[in-house]
Parts: sequence; C-alpha cells; structure tokens
Amino acid sequence: MSEDLDKLISDAVEKALQGDMDVINNIEDRVTRSKAKAALVKAKRLAKAAIAEDAPKPEESKAVEALPAELSLTEKVSAVIAKKFPNTIESDEENSHIQMKGKNWFEIAQYLRDNPDFLFDSLQCVTGYDFGENEDLEVRYNLHSMTHNHAIEIRIKTDRNDPKVPSVEKVWRIGDWFERETYDMYGIVFEGHSNMTRILCPEDWEGWPLRKDYEVQETYHGIVVPKVKDGWE
Amino acid sequence: MGVIHGDLMTLNIGPQHPSTHGVLRLKVKTDGEIISEVEPIIGYLHRCFEKHCENVTYDQVIPYTDRCDYIASMNNNFGYAVTIEALMEIKVPERVEYIRIIVAELNRIASHLLALGTYGLDVGAFTPFLYMFRDRERILDLFETLCGARLLYNYIWVGGLSHDLPRDFVESVFSFLDYFEPKIEEYNELLTYNKIFIERTADIGVLPPEVAISFGVTGPNLRGSGVKWDIRKDDPYSIYDKFDYDIPIGAGEMGTVGDCWDRYYVRMVEMKESAKIIRQALKGLPAGDVHQALPKKIRPPKGSIYKRTESPRGDLAYYIVSDGSPIPYRLKMRSPAFTALSVLGEISQGWMMSDVIAILGSLDIVLGEIDR
Amino acid sequence: MTVDNLINWFPFGTEWPVLTFVTAVIICALPVFLFIAVYALVAIYAELKISSFMQDKVGPMGQGVGLHAWKFGILQPVADALKLILKEDIIPDLADKKLFVMAPFIVFVGAFISFAALPFGQNIIIADMNIGIFYILAVGSLSVIGIILAGWSSNNKWSLYGGMRSAAQIISYEIPAGLSIISIVMLTGTLSMQGIIEFQSGTIWGVLPNWIIFNNPFSFIAFFIFFISGVAECNRTPFDIPEAESELVAGAFTEYSGMRYAFFFLSEYAEMFVISAIAVTAFLGGWNSPISGFMNSSGWGVFWFMLKSLSLIFLMIWFRWTLPRLRVDQLMSICWKVFLPFSLVNIFGVGIWSLLVG
Repeated sequence: MSEDLDKLISDAVEKALQGDMDVINNIEDRVTRSKAKAALVKAKRLAKAAIAEDAPKPEESKAVEALPAELSLTEKVSAVIAKKFPNTIESDEENSHIQMKGKNWFEIAQYLRDNPDFLFDSLQCVTGYDFGENEDLEVRYNLHSMTHNHAIEIRIKTDRNDPKVPSVEKVWRIGDWFERETYDMYGIVFEGHSNMTRILCPEDWEGWPLRKDYEVQETYHGIVVPKVKDGWE
Repeated sequence: MGVIHGDLMTLNIGPQHPSTHGVLRLKVKTDGEIISEVEPIIGYLHRCFEKHCENVTYDQVIPYTDRCDYIASMNNNFGYAVTIEALMEIKVPERVEYIRIIVAELNRIASHLLALGTYGLDVGAFTPFLYMFRDRERILDLFETLCGARLLYNYIWVGGLSHDLPRDFVESVFSFLDYFEPKIEEYNELLTYNKIFIERTADIGVLPPEVAISFGVTGPNLRGSGVKWDIRKDDPYSIYDKFDYDIPIGAGEMGTVGDCWDRYYVRMVEMKESAKIIRQALKGLPAGDVHQALPKKIRPPKGSIYKRTESPRGDLAYYIVSDGSPIPYRLKMRSPAFTALSVLGEISQGWMMSDVIAILGSLDIVLGEIDR
Repeated sequence: MTVDNLINWFPFGTEWPVLTFVTAVIICALPVFLFIAVYALVAIYAELKISSFMQDKVGPMGQGVGLHAWKFGILQPVADALKLILKEDIIPDLADKKLFVMAPFIVFVGAFISFAALPFGQNIIIADMNIGIFYILAVGSLSVIGIILAGWSSNNKWSLYGGMRSAAQIISYEIPAGLSIISIVMLTGTLSMQGIIEFQSGTIWGVLPNWIIFNNPFSFIAFFIFFISGVAECNRTPFDIPEAESELVAGAFTEYSGMRYAFFFLSEYAEMFVISAIAVTAFLGGWNSPISGFMNSSGWGVFWFMLKSLSLIFLMIWFRWTLPRLRVDQLMSICWKVFLPFSLVNIFGVGIWSLLVG
C-alpha cells in the first residue's frame, strides 16, 4: 500500500511542478494530501538550489533577480542567504519565517540591512519564545524595510541551558533595548552587547520571568512576593 | 563646550517628578548645565502584562491591553482585536468597522490633547494645559455615554464591539467636532506660534531620520523628522483606505527638520486630520448589528501572526503565537513609546537641563506602555 | 517724613532720643507689616481668581467648612496662611541649620525695608529721604543673598541649581532696571521719591497727564525695560526658571516647609508690590491723579497710587498665566544683549531729547 501511496505522491508532485495543482488537490485522504504538499515544497526547494548552482555567480544585487519571480519574499531572502552564508539556514518550509542558526547572525543582519534589494533598515520587534519545559528557547526577529515596504520574520533557536545569540545592537540601534528586554525575560545572553543588564525587572531579581518553568522568588529584600493561586500555576 | 572640564555631576531626575510623564528615572551626567549623558531607567511600572496574558483567555486579555497605554486604550484594543481577527480570519460587519474607526480617532484626538497640554506645562505655559484638558473632558464624556468608562474602555472586542452606539451619539460627536475645530486655531495662537515657546523648542533635540529609523521610532516622532510613514496609509488595516486624509510631516518650519517644534506641530495637525476622518466616518455609518460576528469561543488556529496598527504614539504591534487552545501561548506587545524613549539618550547630548525636559515631553511617552 | 513727624510729636523726644527713635520706627513699621500681610492675602486671592478666569475655571468658591465657607472663598488665603503656620517645621538632617534658618529672613528683610521709602500719598511716606529711589534699588538686592543661602544650605543639588540660577538672574536684571531709573533721574534732577512725583504733576498740552512715560519716546521705552526687568527680579514667569515647577520642583525653596516657605512666598509678593510701586512712581505719576483737578486733593493720593500699583500687579499676574518660561541662557542673553544696550541708548536719548526739546 505504501508503495502505491508513494507513487501517487510523486506523480502528483511532478504534475504540480509543471503547474497543474489539481492532482494534489483532488487527493481525498487528508494525510496523503498534506504529505504530497510537503513533498512539493521540498521538490521546489531542490529545484531552486539546482538553478542557483547552474547559473554563473552573479553580483550581489543580481542575486535576487536571478530567482524566479513567483517566489515569496521569504523564499527569496532565504535563497540569497543560503548562497552567501552557507550552512546557516535550517529551514524555510513554512512560508512565514526563516529558521536560522545563530552562528553568523551578525553578518547576515548587516547584509540584510545593506543589500539594496532588501534594505531591512528597521528592526520592528524582538520576541523571545519558550517551547516548553526542557525544550529550546528561540528568538524571533521581525524585520521591515521602510523603502521597499516589505517584512520578514527570522527565528533563531538556542539551547535552554546555555542560551547565546549574537547581538545585532550595532546593526539596528534599537537592538540594544529589545535584547536587554529579552535577556531580562528569558535569560538569553546576546554576545557582543555592550550593556547586558536587566531593563524591566530590578537588577537583583532572580529568575527569568517569561519562561514556562518560572517560579517566583519567595522574598525580595525582605518583602514577601505574593503568589496568586488561581490561574497562575 | 569649554576647554576646562570639571568633574561631571551625576543627577537623578527621580521616579517621582512633575515632568516625567509617569514613573521614569533619568540618570543625567552634566557638566554645569550642559548634559553629557542621559540614561533612562525604566521598569517602575512593570506589571508583567505578557505573563498575565499567558494565563487568561483571549477575550480576557482585552482589559489588560487597556492598561498598557492608558491614554489611548481604544487603539490598544483595536490593535489586539485586529490581530486576532487576522489570525482567525473573522470578517466583522461594516458598522463595526466604522464605529471602531470613529472611537479610535476620537481617542487619538484625546491622546494628542493630553500630550500637547502636558508639553506646554513642561515648558511653563500653564493655561493651554487647562484649555486642552477641558476639551479632552468632552471627549471622555462622549466615551462615558458610549461604554460607561472614561479611561479604560474594554470596548473593542474580537469580532465586534461590546456595546452599540447610544441614541444620540452621532449628533453629539458632530457638535463636539464643530466646537473643537476652531479651538485648534486658538491653541496655535496661544502656544504654537508664541515666540517664547518657539525659542524653547525650535532647533532643540533634532532627530535625524536615519537615526530615527535605526532606533525604530515611529509615529509622530518619525513624521516630525520628515519621513512620511503612517501604518494607516502604508499598511492599511480595517477600512482606513476608504477615507480621505493627509499625513502631516515636519518641514523644519521654525528651525531644523526633526526638532521638538516639528514633533509638536505634527501632533497638532494630526488632530485636524482625525477630525476629518471622523466626519467622513459618521456620514457613511451603515446600520447593522455589532454583536453579529462575535465568536462564541475564541480558539485561533495554531500559528503566529505579527500585525501593526497606528496608535497615537506610533507603530503598535502585537505578536501572538497560538497553540490552538483558548489561552494565548505567547503574546508580545511592541510598544512605540519604548523605542521613542530609547532615542532620548542619543538626541539630548549637548543640550541643557531644561532642554532635556522639553525633549522628553516632545517624545510623548506613556510609562504604562513602555514597562507593560 | 512720618518717622520725623512722630519724633517731633513725642513730648519726651529730646530726653530719651534712642527710645523715642525706636518707638517711632516700630510704630511706623507695624502698619507696613500689616499692610504687607493684608496685601499678600489680597494678592494671593486675586491671583487664584484671575488665573481661574483665564483658565476657564471658577477658582475658590467658598464651598467647604469653616474658613473655606465664606462667600466666593474670600477667606481661602487666610486658611492657607493658617495652614502654613501650623505645618510641621522640617529641617533636613544634613542641611546647614544656621544658614537654613537665616535665609528666609534675609529674603524678607530685603523686600520689607524697601517699603520704607515708598510714597503712598502726598504726606504718607515713612522716610522721605533725598536718595529715596537709590536706597530702594540698593536694598532690593539683599534678597539675592537669602536665595543663595537657601539653595546652598538645603544640601540638595536641585536647590543649588535653583539658587545659582536665581542669583544670576536677579543680579543681571538689576542693571537694566537701574539704568532705566537713571534716565528718568536725569529728567527730574532729583533722587527723592516725592520729588520725582512732584515733577510729574500738571499736564502736557492740557490733556495728557505730565507723566514721565509720556514725556519723551525714550522714557516710554525705559518704562517697558524697567517693568520687564522688574518681573525678572521677582522671579515671575516668564522668568521663573529658578522655581520652575516642572523641572526643579521648587528650585531653591524645595526643602522648606511651613512658615519658612510662607516667608519666601510673602517676600515674592512684597517684591512684586515694590517693583510696581517704583514703576508707578518713576513713570506713571505716583499719587497724582491722571485727570488734572479731578480727585486731586491730598487725601486721594493713596487711592491713585494703589490703583496704579494694583493694575501693574494685575499685569504681572496676566503674564504668568499666559506665557511659557524662558530657558536660563535665553534669559541671560536677553538681559545682556538686548536690554542693556537699549537702556544705555535710552540714557543718551533722554539726555539729548531734553537738551534739544525740553
């Protein structure tokens, strides 16, 4: 049965790559249909990579023009970054964001800000995210371009026990306060930040409040910290 | 500055102070009267709004959003409702859209009146403060007839509104606008074009546009520096694209582009534009049921969304991650005053003590929004 | 004049000269002190009511119990004064106690002793010195010492700022004020207050009163320079940077509470009156009636003097509630770069005008 299913899926994907989406959409079983769609995305990505390798190395601003036009902005950006900074993109399967590894984030940020096709000159929001107890932490950046009026989201995962992400304070000046806030709430240390201190909680507060396993401290300077019983645990 | 540099004196414009618009602490290093460094220290009003939101349901979050930017509560609610509706793909009735815009723009006028009045108070003009508050009281009276509250409304809900308009609301708003628009000329005469006020604010605290964009400053602060950026026009939400209004930007009329006077004047003109929008919305207000699209149980699908709206202080955005349950998994509010305050240290170097107060007033911050 | 009269009147004046002198002085000073107290209450009430009307409020209305309940809230200032007297007297721990206690008195003395030379009426003046106006300008500067002491002894950086700013401001604005007075002294030829006022009796062309302000265009300008410098000397808006509420809480007087604060307050109002009185004497004809022959007898002098002074005080109150405040360096640059040259030009102008025309 599974072989039939595989063949069904690969047929559907081939038809879709040529532009005919009906075969996939007509698959009745929901699980199979979603598998086919996932396979389609993977195939598209491989095709993109093939195109990028075949074409002669273009100059910086032509990198974007070389991509097929129907790619969304997220896909374009991830393709360009994958080429310029290899081995940093983890995945961009979902079209809403780019999942990145933290190691070259500072250089990538500078590139994104300065590349004339992207010009992400505004860092809108830095959000910390906790996947759950004993899971990883993540930092999510929403970038926006004032000149081109487009926006993307970049996510960087980091380990819970020793969370470190390169700081982009020197790229976008607001990174200073946003990163201090994320440090204050989650404990993620941003390497290269000039003043990594708490911003909202007092300097000597213990714990990282927005983590899912946060336990409020009993007393603060002798004052008992009240615990709200309902709806807090 | 002089050749002789004595020791820098560290001063504290403490959390309790008449002019810091809330509990804000400014650590100021001065050389005589000239400032060499200003460091804002925040966190005195931190109530962990984001942690609270992870423990209550989506509709119970709305009163919490009121209390963040307590001067412009309608706009906070609006931003949140628009975000959840985009996540759940709810379409609200036309009447709801129109009423939302009317109350949001009325609240924008009220918020700007407060900002401008207290700014006059900071530079020493006592009377415009009282005149502007008198007019703000009339708006708050309108809101009281609408939803019973003067400051924290809990009015715009996900999918609709909490109450429909009372019987004579439309006429009251028209009469208020007829009363209010000539008052703007009065304020211009009394404060805006007053020679002493211009001396105190023109050419002071210039914010260049590149610095503003890098610091993420938005709203009237950015428009005062000459950048024509307004979410209502550039990334429209609700039905803002149906109305005809202008976006004022600072043109350096009295000094340099991006000085305190420009930011003040942009707010003054924005009140006029909001009055225009309200008039158009009132004329085109359709009939309908405002409770029609309220969902019985708010359970957004799994996913995340980042949506921006224009609050009187700038670009207010919510980043919401939902895991399919009726309680938000992560809710982050990106507040415009946070970014505006971060630029204070940059633009107040080299000015005098009184100027720091003037610059802080022109940035129009609300500590509830910064600390959340 | 009045002290001299009293000394002559005492039957035993020649036998106990010192005692007689002291008694005469006290008898003359008491009415002045009472006058200042009553005037301060009236001025405070006037300021509250006038500011309320300008700001679209109603002000004190007599809704309340006890002293607050009189019609129109007239006893409100009395209630305020009582409250201040009954307040706890807090002296900060690290403050310099002797200076802290001394400062309000020095400020008050500076304003109080100027009253000795003010011409309230034709024969109503405590000491008709022939250097009257010079004396007033001289002792008016005493209050600066008090303010600096207040700022320094409070052991508070903000008070220090306020004290320094205030001292700089008052001392700088003395100069245009003094120079404007010099230009009118040139015209009248006498420093005595009564002499200046007598110069201004009569009319110009039978219609305008012969006030110095109408005498020649330079003295017209001199009046404005003097009046604005006077407002600056009282630390009133637009020059109230030393006590700028929104920046320094109360400037040099932040740490003062209760009666000591009341003294500063009182001396500010007394100073306002002194400046108005000098302006009225020097430029607006003193106790002369504006319409010659009408209400001109010696009894009416007090009425005209008070009327003119109080209208100038009304003008000061009007300034305070309309205009924003100037920054310190703008204040100083106006004084040194605008008022000072103008007042010097005025002196020459008045002299040349009187040579050529008068």
